[in-house]
Amino acid sequence: MNETAPPLNVVGEGFARTDAVPKTTGTATYTVDVSFPGMLHAKVLRSPHAHARLTAIDATAARAMPGVHAVITRDQLEGLNPTYGYFIKDQPIVAIDKVRYIGDAVAAVAAETERQAVEALEKIVVEYEVLPTVAAIESAMADTAPELFEEEPMGVVPAYGQGASGARRLGINNCYRFSYETGNAGAFEGCDHVFEDRFLFSRDQHFHLEPFVSVARMEGETIDVWSSCQNPFPLRKELARVFNHPENMIRVQVPYIGAGYGAKNNCKTEPIAILLAKLSRRPVRFCMTMEENFLTQSQHAAILNVKTGVMADGTFVARSGHIWLDSGAYSDASPLVAEKAGYRLPGPYKWKHLDIHCDCILTNTTPAGPYRGFGGTQASWASESQIDIIARSLGRDPLDLRLQNLKDLGEAYVPGESGVDSDLRAGLNLVADRIGYSDRQSGDGRGMGLSVGFKDAGGVNKPAQARIRITTNGGIYLHCGTVEIGQGVQTAMSQIVAELLNAPLDRVSYPALNTDYTPFDQGTNASSAIVVMAMAVQQATLKAKQKVMEFAAGQLDCSVEEIELDDWSIRKGNESHPLPIMIMRYYGGTGYEFTGEGFFKPDIDHSAPLETQCVSWEFGWGAAEVEVDRDTGLVNLKQLVVSGDAGQAINPLVCRGQDEGSAIMGLTGALFPCMIYDGPILMNGNGLDYRVPLATDIPDGFVSILQEQGHGPGPFGAKSLGEGCMLPVASAIANAIEDAIGVRIRELPLTPERVLAAIDDAQSP
Amino acid sequence: MSGELVYLTCRVNGEEVSLHVRPEEIFVDVLRDRLAATGTKVACDLGACGACTIIVNGNPTASCGLFAWQAEGADIQTIEGLANNGNLDPVQRAFVENSAFQCGYCTPGMIMLARALIDRDPAPSRADIRNWMGANICRCTGYEMIIEAVEKAAALQQEACNE
Repeated sequence: MNETAPPLNVVGEGFARTDAVPKTTGTATYTVDVSFPGMLHAKVLRSPHAHARLTAIDATAARAMPGVHAVITRDQLEGLNPTYGYFIKDQPIVAIDKVRYIGDAVAAVAAETERQAVEALEKIVVEYEVLPTVAAIESAMADTAPELFEEEPMGVVPAYGQGASGARRLGINNCYRFSYETGNAGAFEGCDHVFEDRFLFSRDQHFHLEPFVSVARMEGETIDVWSSCQNPFPLRKELARVFNHPENMIRVQVPYIGAGYGAKNNCKTEPIAILLAKLSRRPVRFCMTMEENFLTQSQHAAILNVKTGVMADGTFVARSGHIWLDSGAYSDASPLVAEKAGYRLPGPYKWKHLDIHCDCILTNTTPAGPYRGFGGTQASWASESQIDIIARSLGRDPLDLRLQNLKDLGEAYVPGESGVDSDLRAGLNLVADRIGYSDRQSGDGRGMGLSVGFKDAGGVNKPAQARIRITTNGGIYLHCGTVEIGQGVQTAMSQIVAELLNAPLDRVSYPALNTDYTPFDQGTNASSAIVVMAMAVQQATLKAKQKVMEFAAGQLDCSVEEIELDDWSIRKGNESHPLPIMIMRYYGGTGYEFTGEGFFKPDIDHSAPLETQCVSWEFGWGAAEVEVDRDTGLVNLKQLVVSGDAGQAINPLVCRGQDEGSAIMGLTGALFPCMIYDGPILMNGNGLDYRVPLATDIPDGFVSILQEQGHGPGPFGAKSLGEGCMLPVASAIANAIEDAIGVRIRELPLTPERVLAAIDDAQSP
Repeated sequence: MSGELVYLTCRVNGEEVSLHVRPEEIFVDVLRDRLAATGTKVACDLGACGACTIIVNGNPTASCGLFAWQAEGADIQTIEGLANNGNLDPVQRAFVENSAFQCGYCTPGMIMLARALIDRDPAPSRADIRNWMGANICRCTGYEMIIEAVEKAAALQQEACNE
């Protein structure tokens, strides 16, 4: 911290969250709680086939069922732009020509009760011509594989900067490729050792407890939609395009969100709810079941080939890699995830040459999309596993090899990029010390492993706007578009505002998002709020404060330098002047509101590979200790130590919760079964069969350590946090397994079956 | 709609409730749709995740798996009934002070589960708490802050009893 900075009063304190009382008393409103008189309920008919042509569909009988007010099949899509997606608009509201996975939406009904809607769905007659399926990456890429899209869907490849590029349809079912290259490809030839490894990454499901849900109604010709959604402004834009509807006549409202972990982006329930509301002229609620969540969005499974060249002394030189992501049936956010997985594969190490491709491969499975870590989880798994492979091959300690090659504080990630804003070695030594790494007894079934999780945070070219209003009596409203999805943003932003206005925290309110009056934001994602939106919030607050100070100075006939804002009074020397009296004397008895606007966006920079420099680098340092049962293959996690760097914690309790929560999400991909497919059939897509960690799965030796290194770009030195600690978990555990039993496992999750198979492989001659 | 309506009488948060329910009606829907008690949340709808946990005759119960008629004569507590004249229950206070929630969707169920534990055992060990709270799923917190909050809730309640 800057030694001359004034002491902080509100920032840095572990205050109770500002949403604590609503959330602990059952009074917090979520989209599932939104209800209107006359509201109908939507249900969706889903495809039983993984890949089929839709030859005929007849909903006549369904329309005549009791309680039914509207039915959607492809016949109701006329006049709309009926497909949506991020870069590529390939996903239809309901199936048009084909269905592409089991669970693909075919038709929808709005009825007075959910039960009536389900009964009506059963009356819809659909004829399919079943097509061959591809359910995994490699089979989908085969020359003879059936194509999910015979014709190229509408879409774009965005502009990239130095060394980066994108391309579409380079092969069968290949919907997007991201590539990044820097340095001289000849670098591998000068290396003493080259390592080539193939890693497999399974797919987790977000398992957000509040389902995908929205309530839509027509208010005149205005579309009014309440949604459990992380990116309401892009959603508004997409809905305007899909429905050919003016943006100013679409209102998206977002109350508290029962979590998303990335899933609640872009169109999910909204187009169906809106179309049914337009047809029925009644409010329509579309609330999915948890089984439907599993058929709507997942993480990306991946194959990662990584080739790394090093010198005999352990110096890292060159890395090339090819990643294939299982995108599921539609492109969704896959191109963006590919961009990040590819860009993050090098890890925060000193390379001279990089050459990476990441392909998105369509398969007849649930569409994959954004998931906390956003490609970084896949990349860190492969990168940090291979570093241990290299260390063991060179006879080096994995800790020492990392310390030798990690980037220095402030060193650019790649040419044209910003410098890393954490001391990576300090973070790694911290978790290694805490777990007792240097004193460990390796082998004999017990071992420890380390990992450095890494991602670029803050989004790409992300703009944010914020507005502050201060009432006559000092009530402060912070209007900003970052939605409260559990991460504690409402609390953190309010603490920043309170600090800047020298006000107690309870004077700040954070109204729920409404696109009609909340200033623009690109979305709640990429651990960006505290380094992007918070900059706009800080600016808005300081501008509003400046107006208050100038007003008060005018009233007191002095200069701004002679006065200070003290709660909601003006201090001038020994005098204290309450602002409400001053305001009403000038503006009249009904008073006035001071306002301030804030804006932030990183500069466009073509020398940066992603066209803007990364705003903040997010790290999660991890250390694991395991005990492996050689007879059963069971991995018993004894200790898991994780650490993130908040720069300056705005609220340390909130930071701790984010680090611990993300680490345990990471544990799901490491040690839990994840989504099990039998061909294109999802075998465990419900809350009973799908296993996520429970309190009883967490070892007593689970610890998070919050660092505040003070180098962040956000207000008061804050930096991105909240995804980092999930990134190192799987590789730290795999590294610990090798430390324990001398066996390397390259495929997630680290199930007993895989451990046993790896032991068998190691023992076979 | 099948079968004849059933007349149900039970106590919800200390108040007697009487209404006709369908034989297949689920108790959580009675709470949310007919009694406007939307604090109780539904997630997995299979009795696995515990988001819908309420206390029925002292037992933590997944209300998504409870037929309405099964509540006949029962004494039922939901999240709405915990605070007393605006004073938070010790479990609620501990969850507030320890930041033992994030998105908040599992929180009413977690709080009711913890309340039922402390009603049975006013001084549970940390291991007891971990085992008991293992009944419900939280996908946000990683559980440690919840377990600490339940420990604190027991302590707060002891303090209040000793005063």
